[in-house]
Amino acid sequence: MAANDSDGFARFKAHRSKFFAAAQYLCKSRRLRYSARMRKPTLALLAACLTLLVGLSGSAVAKPWWMRGVESNETDFLPPDVAFRPSAGIDGNQVRVRWVIADGYYLYRSRMSIKAESPDLVVGTPEFPTGTLKVDPYLGNQEIYTQQVEAKATYSRFDGGAHPMEIKVTYQGCADAGLCYPPITRVLNTEHAPPAAAASPHHWEGVAILVGGIAFLLAGLMLRKGRNLELPTA
Amino acid sequence: MNTPAVRLGGAALLVILGICAGAWFHSSTQSVRRYSGVRVTAGQASAPNPSDMADLPSPGKIPDRLPEFSLADRSGKATSIKSFDGKSLIINFWATWCAPCRKEIPLLQALHTEWGGRGVSVVGVAVDYRDKVLDFAERYKIAYPLLMGEQDALDAAAGFGVETPVFPFTVFTDGRGDVVALFIGELHRPQAELILSKVQALNKGEIELAAARHAIAEGLQALNSAS
Repeated sequence: MAANDSDGFARFKAHRSKFFAAAQYLCKSRRLRYSARMRKPTLALLAACLTLLVGLSGSAVAKPWWMRGVESNETDFLPPDVAFRPSAGIDGNQVRVRWVIADGYYLYRSRMSIKAESPDLVVGTPEFPTGTLKVDPYLGNQEIYTQQVEAKATYSRFDGGAHPMEIKVTYQGCADAGLCYPPITRVLNTEHAPPAAAASPHHWEGVAILVGGIAFLLAGLMLRKGRNLELPTA
Repeated sequence: MNTPAVRLGGAALLVILGICAGAWFHSSTQSVRRYSGVRVTAGQASAPNPSDMADLPSPGKIPDRLPEFSLADRSGKATSIKSFDGKSLIINFWATWCAPCRKEIPLLQALHTEWGGRGVSVVGVAVDYRDKVLDFAERYKIAYPLLMGEQDALDAAAGFGVETPVFPFTVFTDGRGDVVALFIGELHRPQAELILSKVQALNKGEIELAAARHAIAEGLQALNSAS
C-alpha cells in the first residue's frame, strides 16, 4: 500500500516536471518563433481577455449589456424568497443578519425587524447601516436598502445551549418595476448560516467566468493544435 | 491560410462566445423561476409565454369565473363581490404601505368616472388595517367602492390564483362575471384601456372570450416591448 503510494507520488512528480518542461518550451518557442508582427495581435488578444474578465468581476452593480432587458421586463417578478434572501450568523456577542437583495428590488428600513425566536434568548435593538432615501409623497421620505444590507444586534442566551438559536426576521420590500410584497417573516437558525457566496445575487458572474475559463482553455488547445511540439528530453 | 493569426482570431471568438454562453445559460435557468406578471386566465387562454408558464413553480390556476368572496366595506358591513353582478369589474388589490399601489389610484379614479357610463365599475380591495384604509380613502377622495380586510382579503387574493401575494394586482371581469385578465404590478393607462376595450367587445358579443384573452395577451406584450 505504502509502496503504491510512493509509486503514485513519483509518477505525479514525473508528470509535473514534464508539464513544467512543456510549459517552458511553449514560452520559449513562442518567444522565438513569433516575429514582432505577430506579437501585437497576441498582446491585443490578451488585453481584450483581461478587460473582459475584469469587467465581469467588477460589474457587481451594473448589469452587462447582454443581460439588460432580462430584469427590466416589467411583467416579470421574482418569488419573494429569491428577491430577498436573509441569513444569520453569530459574531462574538452579536447576531448578524444579512439580506441579499436582487437587482431592481429594495427593502424598507422602517419595516425590518429582528426578534428572538428560541426560548430564553434575548435580542437587543438591531443596528442598521444608513440606507438611501426614497421620496415618498404619502409616507414621507423612506430609507431603503438595495443589493445587500447587514444588521447587528447583541444577544444573550439563558438556556445553556439547550435549544438551537433561532431568530425571527420581518421585512418588506418592493420592485422598481412597480409591485410590492407584503411583509415577510422568516425564522433563521444562526447555527446553519448559508455561506455568503451561495446567497450572492450575482452568481451568474461565476457561471460566466467558469464557462469563459473553459473556453479559454479550449482556445489554448486550439492554438497549440497543429504545432509540432517536441518535449525536450531531460 | 492556416496561420497563427487565423487561429488567434478563432480562439478570441471562442472565448467571447463562451462567456456569452455562460451568461445566457444562467439567465435562462433563472427565467424559469420567474413569475409572469401579466396573465390572462388559464385554460384555453393564450398566455404570453405558454412554455415558460408550464414550468412556473407555484402560481395557482387563475379562475375562469369571478370567485365569490365577501369583505367589509367602508361602513364595516360584509359585502359580497356578487353584489356588483351585471357590471364589468376592475378589481384592484392594493394596500396603503405599497407605493406603486398608491401611484395607480388616480388612474383608477379616472377609469371609474370615464367608464362608469359603460357599465364598468372599479372595486378596490385593500389588504390592510381598516383605519389606515379609511384615512387614505379620505385623503385621496376615493370615489369607487372599497372592500377591506387582512387575512380574509389575502384569502380573497389567493382565490384569483395569486398564491404568492404581490401588490398591486388588478382583475378585469366582463358583465357576465368571466375573468378576462389579471394584471400584476402597477397599472398604466394604455394597458388598462387595451383590456377595457376587449371587455367592451365581449359585452357587445363582438368577440369570444378566448379570442379576447388572446388579443389582450398579445396587445400587452406589444405595449411592453414598445416601452
